[in-house]
Amino acid sequence: MKSTDFLGMICALAFCASALAADAPKLKTEPVKPTPVAADLDAGKKLYQRWCAQCHGNEGKGDGPAADFVYPRPRDFTLAIFKVRTTPSGQLPTDHDLFHIISEGLPGTSMPAWKKFIPENERWQLVHYVKTFDSLGLFKEEPAKEQVVIDAAPKMTPELIAKGKELYQQKKCWQCHGPTGRGDGPSSAGMKDEWGFPIRPVNFTKSWRFRGGDRIEDIYRTFTTGFNGTPMPSFVDAIPAAEDRWALAAFVKSLARPQKNAQVLKAGNIAGEIPADPYAKEWEAAEFADFPLAGQIILEPRWFKPVHDVITARALYNDKEIAILLEWDDGTNNTGIGKPADEVALQMPVQASDGVKPYFILGDDKHAVDVWRWSAKDGLQRYTAEGASKQTPREAGGVVAQGGYKEGQYRVILRRPLRVGAGETAIEPGRFVPIAFQLRDGDNGEEGLKMSLSTWYYLLPQPATPLTVVLWPLGIGFLTLGGEFWLLRRMRRRPS
Amino acid sequence: MRRHTLYIAIMLWLAILAGLKFGVRPPMPASVLMIYMTLSTIAIILFAAADEARFQAFLAPLRAVFEGRAPKAVQLLVLAGIPLLAGWGAWLRTAPSWDAPFEPRVVHPEPPSTFNFHGKRIDTASLKNPLRAAHEKDPAQLEKLTAEGKTIYYQNCFFCHGDALAGDGHFANAFSPIPANFRDVGTISMLQESFVFWRVSTGGPGLPRAATPWLSAMPVWQNFLTEDEIWKAILYIYAGSGSTPRTWDEETKHEKH
Ligand code: HEC
Ligand code: HEC
Ligand code: HEC
Repeated sequence: MKSTDFLGMICALAFCASALAADAPKLKTEPVKPTPVAADLDAGKKLYQRWCAQCHGNEGKGDGPAADFVYPRPRDFTLAIFKVRTTPSGQLPTDHDLFHIISEGLPGTSMPAWKKFIPENERWQLVHYVKTFDSLGLFKEEPAKEQVVIDAAPKMTPELIAKGKELYQQKKCWQCHGPTGRGDGPSSAGMKDEWGFPIRPVNFTKSWRFRGGDRIEDIYRTFTTGFNGTPMPSFVDAIPAAEDRWALAAFVKSLARPQKNAQVLKAGNIAGEIPADPYAKEWEAAEFADFPLAGQIILEPRWFKPVHDVITARALYNDKEIAILLEWDDGTNNTGIGKPADEVALQMPVQASDGVKPYFILGDDKHAVDVWRWSAKDGLQRYTAEGASKQTPREAGGVVAQGGYKEGQYRVILRRPLRVGAGETAIEPGRFVPIAFQLRDGDNGEEGLKMSLSTWYYLLPQPATPLTVVLWPLGIGFLTLGGEFWLLRRMRRRPS
Repeated sequence: MRRHTLYIAIMLWLAILAGLKFGVRPPMPASVLMIYMTLSTIAIILFAAADEARFQAFLAPLRAVFEGRAPKAVQLLVLAGIPLLAGWGAWLRTAPSWDAPFEPRVVHPEPPSTFNFHGKRIDTASLKNPLRAAHEKDPAQLEKLTAEGKTIYYQNCFFCHGDALAGDGHFANAFSPIPANFRDVGTISMLQESFVFWRVSTGGPGLPRAATPWLSAMPVWQNFLTEDEIWKAILYIYAGSGSTPRTWDEETKHEKH
């Protein structure tokens, strides 16, 4: 060994030691728990090839046959870099960490929760086998010895959340995650992970997509230990006090938006004008419904890597018109410069007829759909589609769109007069009108059939409850009462 | 025992209601529930009335109320309760329901006798999986073809039908009807391979009207895969889900019995 190397090593060791010493008081750790199941690598290999190789590849390089068809890409295990851990930043995960992640999966990615399909014992064999791909021999040389202690979570009080909010500002989480947590911070663009793939900060309102889970303990663990291999650092040094980190976790958790999937988008009736401002109180008060979206993987070109997984809608009507407010989160506002523009589309049958709906992707040659498409570049364009390959632009004909981007979110209002001529879909109180949604994220290169889409749902302008609805039950109640008295008189008169 | 006939009947009725309401997934629409409950009510009353003594026992508590022999509080409760229940029942009928219209769907429709595949007509009745037929005696070869089918499955199908073929892929929840669960005994294990080949080749749009072709997200796989690839994928969905196709032999066996 050359002496310079030796010196270098001493320096490195000294540096490590000092780093550890500096960490020690901040981070409470405990010895790693023993692994309950001994390795049987042959069994592990079989299981791996059965369940994991199609994504992670036979050699664990993240290059299985399905790897090109999912986003984010399956993990390359050869560098032994893992995200969801209870060990300090930069260290290897414990066996229990790997077991946890294999069991629970990574929400928001294609990696499923394997506990549904693989028994516990076999999941431990997978833990052992995944570690064999480590090409640098790190798991043998420096396995994790200490893990971070995660105490019981404090109660989520408004004070705790308020304190967390302050820290969120101070510690600059917003630079990446955005001022409102929608992943649209100023430094959010153009980031890459250690494997060289583009990566975006998580949108905190979509807590169902948190890789590490969305319990407050999970969030605490995530920014305490950091996600190795990503720009998401550990914040132990910046936020040494555990109480502060709990406050921040509580704030992040409080940003989560409830989800309400529905089959029917109900339009409420309002007396006056329908406000043009999507932030108006009438709109805030309107009932919302979420519609889950999937990648368009049915027609060529198929699109396996969509960004959008949900669209939220509200609807209002008065005696003149109906308006639908569409909301979706987007970390980037693409107006068509350099990349395609962000777009949303609402689709309904041109004429709801004969109990047959048009094909849910842009109709078919016998059943046309009316498409109201709004783009961040050109605003409203209206089409008649008789299948994806036959879309004809048509006059807006009374349909009006107003929309914009604010704080990581689009809100677009589409409106149309209720009374329309022939050739237009009838929308009236009490009538269920089929609707479907499509979304395109320009930043992700989505245009045309590269999009997220939904199947058919319904729009229903909810009619006022007519009086007869109350009169019938009242009438029947009184009639029964009358019958009872008649019976009563008859039966009591009869000598028993 | 006989003394409690009416109470047993009421308990039974409530048990049926609870079973249908909470025991059936996905929940049935209110209109269907109403039909079942009406039928149950009629069945219970008919059963009680079938035997004269039982019917008298069934009516006895009611008679006691109407003839004024039951305690005053009970009389009041029953006499006020019946009109309230009747009114409430009427309300359930007339109250506006904003549930989506119930759209019944035939899941396994009769396949057409012939269909178009890459420009040629295929006869459904005589269709067999050529790979299975050719390699019946060569398990190693069959295993190799199944492994190729696995690759096809994970490049084309698992987004919807799931990693473990349970119909729960990462895109599954956005589609309605949801993708078929191949581990379920109600899907491919009760189907012949010819039916599965027809379904895979012609997808959602190839379904007859009763099966709501406009709703199914199942792609038309003849647009993407060759005949050979589809048969391999079919080998895999059976092997991977641990099921076997229904065969003609079984069919004739069933008919004989
Ligand atoms: C459908 C594809 C797919 C399959 C099948 C799959 N994974 Fe994954 N897996 C992924 C993706 C994608 C990621 C990375 C997500 C990310 O980086 O955010 C991942 C990440 C992982 C990680 C790293 C987690 C971390 O904290 O960094 C482990 C461990 C893992 N998978 C194990 C397995 C095992 C074991 C199996 C088989 C039982 C398996 N995976 C099957 C897609 C898959
Ligand atoms: C330099 C940019 C950056 C900063 C600053 C940052 N994050 Fe992150 N964060 C990311 C990225 C990128 C991801 C996504 C990681 C991934 O997809 O694997 C992420 C993900 C997360 C997640 C979700 C992890 C999961 O389970 O999916 C949480 C929680 C989080 N960050 C909390 C915070 C908090 C709290 C702060 C401030 C103390 C913060 N982040 C600061 C970039 C950043
Ligand atoms: C975009 C999602 C999607 C993809 C991708 C997909 N399917 Fe389907 N599949 C469905 C849906 C939804 C159904 C249920 C509705 C129906 O019967 O059409 C279904 C039904 C089926 C059925 C009928 C099962 C039965 O019991 O009738 C078979 C067989 C099938 N799929 C095979 C496949 C194969 C093989 C592939 C890959 C080559 C595939 N699917 C890819 C969505 C998908």
